[in-house]
Amino acid sequence: MSKLAESLAAGQFVVTAELGPPKGTDVSHLLKMAELLRDRVDAINVTDQQSSVMTLGSLAVCHLLHERGIEPIFQITCRDRNRIALQSDLLSAAVLGIENILCLTGDYPTLGDHPQAKPVFDLDSVTLLRTVSLLQQGRDLAGKPLQGTPRFFPGAVVSPGAKPLAPQIAKMEKKVEAGARFFQTQAVYDPAEFESFVRQVEYLHVPILVGIILLKSAAMARFMNSNVAGVNVPEPLIEEIGSVDKPSRPAKAVEIGARLIRQMKGLCQGVHIMTLGWEQYVPQLLEEAGLAS
Amino acid sequence: MVITEQKKLEEILRFLEGCERVFLLGCGVCAATWGTGGEKETREMAARLAEAGKTCTGWVVTEEATCDVRTTRRLLKQHNAQVEAADALLVLSCGAGVQTVAALVDMPVYPALNTLFLARLQNLSVCDERCRLCGACILAETAAICPVTLCPKGLMNGPCGGYKDGKCEVDRERDCAWVAIYERMEALGWRERFLIIHEPKDWNAARHPGFINKREGAAAGGAR
Repeated sequence: MSKLAESLAAGQFVVTAELGPPKGTDVSHLLKMAELLRDRVDAINVTDQQSSVMTLGSLAVCHLLHERGIEPIFQITCRDRNRIALQSDLLSAAVLGIENILCLTGDYPTLGDHPQAKPVFDLDSVTLLRTVSLLQQGRDLAGKPLQGTPRFFPGAVVSPGAKPLAPQIAKMEKKVEAGARFFQTQAVYDPAEFESFVRQVEYLHVPILVGIILLKSAAMARFMNSNVAGVNVPEPLIEEIGSVDKPSRPAKAVEIGARLIRQMKGLCQGVHIMTLGWEQYVPQLLEEAGLAS
Repeated sequence: MVITEQKKLEEILRFLEGCERVFLLGCGVCAATWGTGGEKETREMAARLAEAGKTCTGWVVTEEATCDVRTTRRLLKQHNAQVEAADALLVLSCGAGVQTVAALVDMPVYPALNTLFLARLQNLSVCDERCRLCGACILAETAAICPVTLCPKGLMNGPCGGYKDGKCEVDRERDCAWVAIYERMEALGWRERFLIIHEPKDWNAARHPGFINKREGAAAGGAR
């Protein structure tokens, strides 16, 4: 069983963070950041062509982390692979010892740097989760028996700030039914909104790791509000980060992030920190949030 | 309805290069209704070609759909002399109509239109794509709103995380198909049905080219 699965089963509050593979083959910075996070988080998500921008693959980076004793969460989207390639990559992950799988639909190619690409979406996040469950039962999507059965800890994502929220919750229910054992959320900046969401999905009895993105600037907050689905940064927070000069912003961002974590910690089973290049501030963030181990 | 648009005259003139005499054939069904290949448009096309120095040996608009071999064959026979006098045929119909004509004559046949999609006609100016001809209709499970067509990702089990204020990730002007499906199902008291997990779509049913022979009882979508 993965450490993440064990910790959640034991009722421990878990911390996950996220790393994005580089465009290219130089992984030195990525590995440096992974070392920085190693003893501070339970597992590290590795993104899969995040925002449809072509990068080094998630599976390869997950392997690099795993062989260094750092537990990865393999993010896998339906955008670029059909059901044959997805199942094959899941089996590849299993033989490399990667158990945590985060199943995502994937952004549309036009959002990224290869907008001409042919989108695949042969499966969706729900049927991908079902596929993970099937493989664990020793069968593939065609019903054919597997030689050697993989073991996974499948998870999924949900957007507590989605508008409207009801279809999002219905889809979350389908993901649980399809085998999702934990959820990581889109970034949340409004604890009241998150609490309301948590109450509405209590009946699903599934661990939720609240998403945190450090607020780098007021401009970033406004950009996310207008462009990123499900992200709603309240005006007082935008003013707060906007009130300090540039050199003081990281400290202020950490202060806001830590406060959000403390406010929402009691509502969920863990926190998922999406760093967007600010990995170096994670230790301080966890310290201030009272999560440093 | 099959939606088409007229090609630019420059493109048409490019492939008509070397063909001095042209016979025009319009489609009396889809292209006529949508205003791309009916009588008015076929006559106008003939005039534009004449302006560009071509000789129009004649024109006709099929009363039925051009893609119906039976009626189009008869019509071409009736206009045999004008067709024979031409160096090429220019067809103002969808791609199916153009190929129907091409299979009936031994001379160059060219398209005057681009074929766009299968649509609902809201009025004579507005239409929207409604069917992708996927071969395995799921409208019974989606409150008669097609996610294969209306969701750019063609998702089968609910919205992705990209919708914002009910609008699509790919085009913020457009409604998210799955939010619309959810809301319609909820209004119908069908939330339980929304929760049914749909298996991955069988794309075999969408295999092309489609061929059916009812007398042989052959299945749709079979490659031939």
